Amino acid sequence: MASWRGMRLRDALRLYVITDRALARGRSEREIVHQAIAGGATAIQLRWKTGPLSEALRVGRELRELCSREGVLFVVNDRVDLALALDADGVHVGVSDLPVAETRRLVGDQVVIGFSPETVEQAREAEAAGADYLGVGPVFPTVTKPDAGPAVGLEHVQRIAAAVRIPVVGIGGITAENAGAVIRAGAVGVAVISAVVGADDVRLAAMQLRSVVDAARAEQS
Amino acid sequence: MNPRSVPRLHLITDLTVCSFARLCELLPKLVHAGVDAIHLRAPGVAAGDLWEMAQALRRRIVPPALLLVNDRLDVALLCQADGVHLPEGGLPVHVVRNHLGEGRVVGRSVHSLEAARTAAAEGCDYVIYGNVFETASKPGAAARGLDALREVVNALRIPVIAIGGITPDRVPAVRATGAHGVAVIRGILAADDPAAAARAYRRAMDGVSDGWRFV
Repeated sequence: MASWRGMRLRDALRLYVITDRALARGRSEREIVHQAIAGGATAIQLRWKTGPLSEALRVGRELRELCSREGVLFVVNDRVDLALALDADGVHVGVSDLPVAETRRLVGDQVVIGFSPETVEQAREAEAAGADYLGVGPVFPTVTKPDAGPAVGLEHVQRIAAAVRIPVVGIGGITAENAGAVIRAGAVGVAVISAVVGADDVRLAAMQLRSVVDAARAEQS
Repeated sequence: MNPRSVPRLHLITDLTVCSFARLCELLPKLVHAGVDAIHLRAPGVAAGDLWEMAQALRRRIVPPALLLVNDRLDVALLCQADGVHLPEGGLPVHVVRNHLGEGRVVGRSVHSLEAARTAAAEGCDYVIYGNVFETASKPGAAARGLDALREVVNALRIPVIAIGGITPDRVPAVRATGAHGVAVIRGILAADDPAAAARAYRRAMDGVSDGWRFV
């Protein structure tokens, strides 16, 4: 399949939904992702923090298939080897994960690499090292990632988006109420966990977020 | 890998028993003493730090000793490890071999006869089976015993490495089951003199004839 790197990545990053088993309240990743895509999710990230990798592989194969069928970007968090095993479209690494340059060596030039910088300098370095997009946050306070530190705010999104050419997505505490401001700060899209994965109606939650993002993007262009 | 070439004295890192700095300091002595496989295992350590550790070990682990990375194929590929050691629930062997290429070692930890058979059928070079005796590394885990080890050895055509509470004194009995070798954490890393402990394991291992299995 054609690479997602390049211009079409900006559209693929509009509504980026990250899986989290703990927030899914018993619903399977497959069910959540199916509903999220039906509501307008444009990217899905498999984030696997506990449990055996064999289970991540099983779930990942399901999500891989769903995303391929629906033309949605499929990204794996942290484990580059899992991304390779699942033939993922992308892999996302943070400051304590494998460095972007090493990740690029492993995945070749077709796979999208996302990076979560903490500073403007890290953002620039990641771009130079071959990252395709940046996840910046937490924009607002969040309970999903207790280790994520205090909210960095919209100004930080603005600073990083202004410092790099690659697209930026905002992450952390984003809801349909504040997603528009994130786009206006310079992000091409928003990444969410609890706002979609934890919603009673996953499809509806994705739909609402997507329409806010689309409206804000239309304003910007 | 030729079964005969599979390492016999495996050392598995445990940062709660021995700090990484001390491990690096000990390594040349341990390799000289006859440790022929070092498994980088550091659950809970982020990949960035693991990659740093892997590079440091790669610089220090030279033939005939092998550097094996536990679980993470990506780190193993980057540091040009000699192989990957998979947890029972880790990546499938064919995925690992596809990326690692020829001449690299792939093994798996197994905790039952069934898992051992599966690992052998999917093409592992060896399995680590245990825990054979009670061990402080797995508190509360009942020892599987020498009979169960023998059963695994007899069921498999690939080398079986025994793990769990194995002391140099117990090596002859372990080897008498037909087990190819032993894997050790505390037996070496928690010893007052780790290099002397490694030598004791090696002597105990070499004192037993290779047996009939691969003749």
